[in-house]
Amino acid sequence: MRQLILVAVASLVSITAHAADPDGKQLFQQKCAMCHGPVGMGTGLLARRMKPEVAQLEKRDDLSAAYVERAARIGILNMPPITRGDVTDAQLTSIAQYLSKGKP
Amino acid sequence: MMRSGRNLASSELRAIQLDVPHSPASAATLEKTLKAMSDTVGAAAVFATDEDRDAYSDHFPIDPQRHRPYAAVAPTTAEQVQALVRVAAANRVPIWTVSRGKNLGYGTAAPVVAGSIILDLSRMKKIEVDVENATVLLEPGVGFYDLYDYLQTRNIPLMLSVPGNSWGSVIGNALDRGLGYTPYGEHTRNLCGLEVVLPDGDIVRTGMGAMPNSPSWQLHRFGYGPAWDQLFVQSNFGIVTKAGMWLMPQPEIIRGFDVEMDRMEDLGPLIDAIGPLRREGILLQSPTIGNWFRAANILTTRKQWTDKPGSLTDDVISAIRKQFGLGWWGVSLRVYGRETVVQANMDILEKALKAINPMSMKPFSWRPGEPFAPTQGGWMGVPMTFPMQSANWFGGRGGHIGFSPVLTQSGKLALEQFQRTYARYKEFGMDYQASFAFGERHMLNVNAVLLNLDDPQFMKRVDPFLRTLIADARQHGYGEYRAHIDYMDVVADCYDYNNHALRRLNERIKDALDPAGILAPGKSGIWPSAYRKERKA
Repeated sequence: MRQLILVAVASLVSITAHAADPDGKQLFQQKCAMCHGPVGMGTGLLARRMKPEVAQLEKRDDLSAAYVERAARIGILNMPPITRGDVTDAQLTSIAQYLSKGKP
Repeated sequence: MMRSGRNLASSELRAIQLDVPHSPASAATLEKTLKAMSDTVGAAAVFATDEDRDAYSDHFPIDPQRHRPYAAVAPTTAEQVQALVRVAAANRVPIWTVSRGKNLGYGTAAPVVAGSIILDLSRMKKIEVDVENATVLLEPGVGFYDLYDYLQTRNIPLMLSVPGNSWGSVIGNALDRGLGYTPYGEHTRNLCGLEVVLPDGDIVRTGMGAMPNSPSWQLHRFGYGPAWDQLFVQSNFGIVTKAGMWLMPQPEIIRGFDVEMDRMEDLGPLIDAIGPLRREGILLQSPTIGNWFRAANILTTRKQWTDKPGSLTDDVISAIRKQFGLGWWGVSLRVYGRETVVQANMDILEKALKAINPMSMKPFSWRPGEPFAPTQGGWMGVPMTFPMQSANWFGGRGGHIGFSPVLTQSGKLALEQFQRTYARYKEFGMDYQASFAFGERHMLNVNAVLLNLDDPQFMKRVDPFLRTLIADARQHGYGEYRAHIDYMDVVADCYDYNNHALRRLNERIKDALDPAGILAPGKSGIWPSAYRKERKA
């Protein structure tokens, strides 16, 4: 049931291409790097599921902005959802654009 | 369809599917309250979609339905907190405060009472450091990483103490009596002066902060008359909007030993070697003895070693220990300060440790500015999240729930507690993770019961298991120092001297301060009169 809702919501996500956001890198450092930096929990666990050299999100080239936003908001496996109190929608958009390297 | 480089596979989702929350307030009242809150803080700071409710639920849950909130609101100032509290009181809607909402293992951001509105203080992030006096005045949204970055970018020679999961709030952790690994490792003891919004919207400053022009709010813990700081710790008497904390002046050097002990029964002698040094002050840090599994479950997953259900067998344990070079027990002891003093204390420590014949004893030394292994950062107050990799022990969605009775520093009694507990882990088919964390006089036996959220049969065993552990400990006079939201009542029930005189006192204070009963009903087993029938114990 939850998956169906996700697909429906995901289809509403903007697919407009955005220029790289200058704040995205800084926001990633502030909001995400504790887990997705070099020795964080997220990097450690992703290294079990993919090549360790791309386990850090900043080293990935297959992330789309829409994917990053949905993953952050709903959580994946052991990653809890990121609340809107912690990271605003606008901040998450900037982070997603930074990590997706321009891919919508 | 979603246009992305990679679709989210259904197996990857946390997928905690929840119904609408069951609030004690009516739907109309909740809607009216949320509208008034939105008028106070702006619509952009009010979160009330199903996705928001999921995000503010417990993420290491036994039953995620039980504690789902109605909505969340994120103020940015103490004045907004006052206004929101008044709105909640006027409408008699329960609110549950979180500093950052990252209290994983104890309920995350979720309230005891489902349908409460979460007051999320994440956006209150002010930091004021007094370098000379080694103190900081913080707002609740400041995380350990925020404060660490603040000090590092300004080259301020002050050191944090951080918990094993440092994602959360510095204040929030201290208010739940969290632990770290340095001489400042009992975080609640670092509190010095609070600013608190009371349940009627009034605001108070404790200690010297009651004098508007006092230069010593963060220096003198007690002020004049009754000292209230600890009354706002693990309680529901007020909302802390600022807290003073003491920080450790950066030491000249940190030295110590990483010690491994080979056998289960070595726990007793290890505790008896450390305890006197801790009480005497040779060791000022809070050493934490951990079993082999506490180290190993970060590094590997269960499926790499066995596909058998039930507790890990001795042959599997031996294989894992051998692979990673782990004793049955390990502890990292650290001595901080001026080099000459550290050397003298190291001599005493080395002699005491050699006398108990450790399996290995690896020396450690670090001076500020030198490189260090990231896994050693906890002893230098560097925030970390990698220990949370234990959530992946079963290979899928996991987590942990704490069981943490307060013990004495007796090796004999601690060994007996370990043996009783380990037998229960085997009886219920759980993998045993525990640590024994020294205070100055006491010891906390912090067990993390690892969860397999993908296995319903496993999850059915968790609640009876935890209740059995709590009951066993109670028989020996051991109560917990901290509890997950599911167990706040049953833990509070253990503290029952003179027909629950302490609980009755807490609830008399609660009713006096919070007659509408809106602030975190059920927190630490303290229920306002309007909700008292909800008590589960």
